[in-house]
Amino acid sequence: MVHALRRAGQRLRPGGRLISIRPHETQLPLVSVITPSRRIPVARLTTPGFDDRQSAADAALERVVAEGRFARNGIRNHRYRSLLDNPSQLRTYLELIIPPRPRFPSGRRAQLLDLWRSSPRGSKIEIAEWIVLTALRRR
Amino acid sequence: MPAALDISAYPPDGMEVRLIERFTTLKGRRILEVGCGDGRLTFQYAPTAREVLAFDPDRASIEDALDEQAALGVSNVDFRVGSIEHLPARGAPFDIALFSWSL
Repeated sequence: MVHALRRAGQRLRPGGRLISIRPHETQLPLVSVITPSRRIPVARLTTPGFDDRQSAADAALERVVAEGRFARNGIRNHRYRSLLDNPSQLRTYLELIIPPRPRFPSGRRAQLLDLWRSSPRGSKIEIAEWIVLTALRRR
Repeated sequence: MPAALDISAYPPDGMEVRLIERFTTLKGRRILEVGCGDGRLTFQYAPTAREVLAFDPDRASIEDALDEQAALGVSNVDFRVGSIEHLPARGAPFDIALFSWSL
């Protein structure tokens, strides 16, 4: 990762921006059932190996700043939500993610299905995800 | 005939571009995109960029991007199979290097 950032720095003009878009490290995707009257959080999805990868990415960004190649330009967190009509669409949603894919903690998928079966007509499944944009400025 | 499902695990179109533009404009810029995949994000900002070099190590994704590029008639993007480590250290400078879900 550091090598990739250094190489990008070699090809950026002075003052140019390096921008990284990544899933947020600690705000894990949150699955909820949305009924006409309330939102019921069910589970935060976990991704095996994700923490190590995110930590390495953070360390790589810190490293190129410490080396003096870049200056910090800013960081922004942002949330987006997807509304799905049923559990089948949730399966499709998860399959669309490039591996490693997020997973339900043990027992939570069954809990979601139970909750869904007892939910009133018109309910939705919501996935809230967070991303982080990090911007560096080439010195 | 049932309606086609419109399900995406990525942010809604336009959201990432708006967030990027809080740091820098993309308009008229020369952009290097690392890990472009099938060009999902590339095609969102390419119309305003001057020139884009976008690459990804996954050949199938780049082939999808090239198909989409032909369908859309986008002429200012150069999609390539590869990784940034193979990019020559010297060459015309870019204004923006974008690591889109690839770091």
